Amino acid sequence: MSEVSRRECLRVGLLGGAVVTTAGCAKIANHFASDRRPVTLPASNVEEPSRIVQRLTFGPRPGDVSAMSTMGKDAYVTAMLKPGDDEDMRLRFLLNRLDVFQMDPYETQDLPENEVIRQLQQAAILRAAYGKHQLRERMVDFWTNHFNIYGRKGLAAFRKAADETNVIRKHALGSFPQMLHASSRSSAMLIFLDNQSNIAGHPNENYAREIMELHTLGVHGGYTQKDVQEVARCFTGWTIERRFLRHRWSVIFDETKHDDGSKTVLGHRIPAGLGEKDAEAVLNILTNHPSTARNLATKICANFLGSDSSKWTDRVAETYLRTHGDIAEMLRPMLLSKDLIESPPILKRPFDYVVSAIRALDAETDGGLEVQKHLSDMGEPLYQWPMPDGYPTKTTAWTGTMLPRWNFAVAMTNNTMRGTGVDWNQIGKDANAVTLFERTHGRRPSMQDQVLVNQVTDELRLGKDRYADAGFLCLAAPSFQWR
Amino acid sequence: MAKSNWWSCEESRKWDAGQKKLTRRGVLLGAGFCLASWAGSKSALAELKVSKGQKNKPHDVLVYVFLRGGADGLNIVAPYAEDSYYRQRPNLSIAKPTDKGTNASGRLLDLDGFFGLHPSLGPLLPFYHGGSLAVLHACGSQDTTRSHFQAMAAVERGLAAEGPGPASGWLARHLTSTEQESDSPLRSIAFGGILPDSLRGAANTVALESIGDFKLNALESQHERFEKRLQELYKDPSEEVGRAGQETLAVLESLRKIHPEQYKPEHGAVYPTSDLGNGLRQTACLIRANLGLEVAALDRTGWDTHFAQGSTVGILPLALDDLGRSLAAFATDLGSEMNHVTVVVMTEFGRRLAENSSLGTDHGRASFMFVMGGGTNGAKVYAKWPGIEEHQLDETGDLRVTTDYRDVLAEVLQNRMRNDVPQETFPSYRGKPLGVVRSL
Repeated sequence: MSEVSRRECLRVGLLGGAVVTTAGCAKIANHFASDRRPVTLPASNVEEPSRIVQRLTFGPRPGDVSAMSTMGKDAYVTAMLKPGDDEDMRLRFLLNRLDVFQMDPYETQDLPENEVIRQLQQAAILRAAYGKHQLRERMVDFWTNHFNIYGRKGLAAFRKAADETNVIRKHALGSFPQMLHASSRSSAMLIFLDNQSNIAGHPNENYAREIMELHTLGVHGGYTQKDVQEVARCFTGWTIERRFLRHRWSVIFDETKHDDGSKTVLGHRIPAGLGEKDAEAVLNILTNHPSTARNLATKICANFLGSDSSKWTDRVAETYLRTHGDIAEMLRPMLLSKDLIESPPILKRPFDYVVSAIRALDAETDGGLEVQKHLSDMGEPLYQWPMPDGYPTKTTAWTGTMLPRWNFAVAMTNNTMRGTGVDWNQIGKDANAVTLFERTHGRRPSMQDQVLVNQVTDELRLGKDRYADAGFLCLAAPSFQWR
Repeated sequence: MAKSNWWSCEESRKWDAGQKKLTRRGVLLGAGFCLASWAGSKSALAELKVSKGQKNKPHDVLVYVFLRGGADGLNIVAPYAEDSYYRQRPNLSIAKPTDKGTNASGRLLDLDGFFGLHPSLGPLLPFYHGGSLAVLHACGSQDTTRSHFQAMAAVERGLAAEGPGPASGWLARHLTSTEQESDSPLRSIAFGGILPDSLRGAANTVALESIGDFKLNALESQHERFEKRLQELYKDPSEEVGRAGQETLAVLESLRKIHPEQYKPEHGAVYPTSDLGNGLRQTACLIRANLGLEVAALDRTGWDTHFAQGSTVGILPLALDDLGRSLAAFATDLGSEMNHVTVVVMTEFGRRLAENSSLGTDHGRASFMFVMGGGTNGAKVYAKWPGIEEHQLDETGDLRVTTDYRDVLAEVLQNRMRNDVPQETFPSYRGKPLGVVRSL
């Protein structure tokens, strides 16, 4: 590309935000580059390609939105729903260095718990930031919270990597019944919800309650305290293997600890003498239950459509029942719908916020302790939500944490975070207020963005060393908190 | 910041002497700043005095400590006079205060000849006997799901049980119905990264780990410019984030005037270094700074003792040790300032009477509450005790709820927080006065 034509491209915002080439956009860009007289910006701040990328990924990287436009909505969504196992060399290299994903769980005991939790978080941040198949990464975050496991209970952290690989990641866009089955055999979940001490004659109701209340039926799903007690009896005997010398930590069924009498769960009679098949029977009852379909549909719809998602709940629940819990099929029509474009904005949780900033600025990060510290300051230290319900999704749960967001934006743009770096020389090449806005927001500025664009213009006018300051304003602005 | 550090205790005393005839708050403010070796600029203090925390009528600061996970009231305030307690908890029960066969540290601390305090709560006993700590028992909500989330949601929303009703938190509604134009931007604070449900929907609320960390970490050349630009960006109060940003900037402005990291507790108080201890220490600092704080919400997790709860050694005793030492340090530190503070400690539900097979207890119903402060009618256990023989428990084997938790909260709001409309905070609820706290 010749010098002249490259500059032309920059002016209309192709290299920076890489959104849409229009004459209007070029005018705005020129305008802001020269003075601060008020200009007319588009009234709406929702653009279809940008919104789709915002909702299906952890935020657009430069080029993502235009790539999506080129590809077309159908092809883009279809590809996202069928992710492969391939990842870029760099991400594979970074992940390969994390012991917890390379070792057998019981071997990770040689590491300190904090180190294990650090590596788990590191992998999550790296995959969300650099993973090729972004919708899967979003769903991994969704299911990680749905099947939340608190890393600091009963050595659960040491087992969480296996849970993540074999339960969450494996089935994130696959079959919900299979994911639930895998979760019920996950030693991390078993330990977190105390099933190792759920034994005949002395049931522990913890897992029985949460599998119905949170994992499947939902709290209004129509079960009773009696059902909780009966399900607990069905799961008696599932425990962690104990071997002489070294435990392997696999989940096994100990029939001597199993209550083998007959049970009644949600009106279904489970005859005596089924042994380990009791658990199977319960999982079948739960995964085929309309309340499960409804509960999952409600949560999934809110995850993609925000607060105004109720009209999709029935349809997605119906798809769940028809396809026996095929997650990709539940998502497809919703992701292609007009409602995705028109739905109200969703507040980025801290993990979203951090990763979207890394992606927008194309930052290099190791996902290490410093980024993790910021996540913790913002109230979302990964794998450390102590309750089985996962981090809250309500906006009001997160509005008390604006300052730590700004402080992350400061550290990121000033390049003072060890292990994370932004190449301002690269970004700053001929950037202007509009291209910086587009790069961070994945769309053109609209009327509501005037204050921010004016401020960024102001900063840039003061010199090249102000790119970082302009970048801070883009990341700290209210408009960057939503997706 | 360094510039405003010049102000010494000497100056403080001079300033204090000039002010103390005017207001009690002035005295407390001056003395607090001096003894705590704080520094702040004179003008800032003068400004704080006139503009912050000067409600028309003074009221208490409410410190709400929520024990998340379902704290076991039956071992925390144990009904040792009941045989059933020892029958149902062969491994977990704690020896009677009079049990000479057990050494003193393993025995309950007698409260009234019927109930005994867990020995790990020893630091609270002097406050109980001194009359500033009241203990309540068989309290709770009408929630029967025994789900943490349902029960916490019910309590934090201020409902009988989870279901229809306002979605906002009860503390948020209290703050709304007592709103005034002169309110501080720091009316309420939550320690811990996340805003608890009880404060959901409250204006002027911040959630933070430590007040010392509450600052924008920009370079000196950026700091002022960034805050000014943020003020311009965050100016739409109709949008949730816009409002949150405005409040955050206002709090930054207030906190710039005090130096929490230099706060030194008084009267020899030593706070544990736990999250709760740190939270209460900082709450004390904010109360002393007189920034108009009205409500502080603190969480202490770790009460879901299905496993290895222990009797005098185990998970529960460790948690109680932290709770007892933290509360005792707070009350000791604040000294006479506790006359204008009310602490309420509660949990979402209690635990089953019968112990389980894992040296723990499963989810139950009623539990205990503490109310602490200068306005408390303490030295008494308030309980309409339902008994814990088999026929007296509910159908699952749990302690029945005979005191609605809102009886306590509504009384605190009405008598200590100058909330004349507790029905706005607790809709469709008629409180029954207990007499736990005196009227202001």
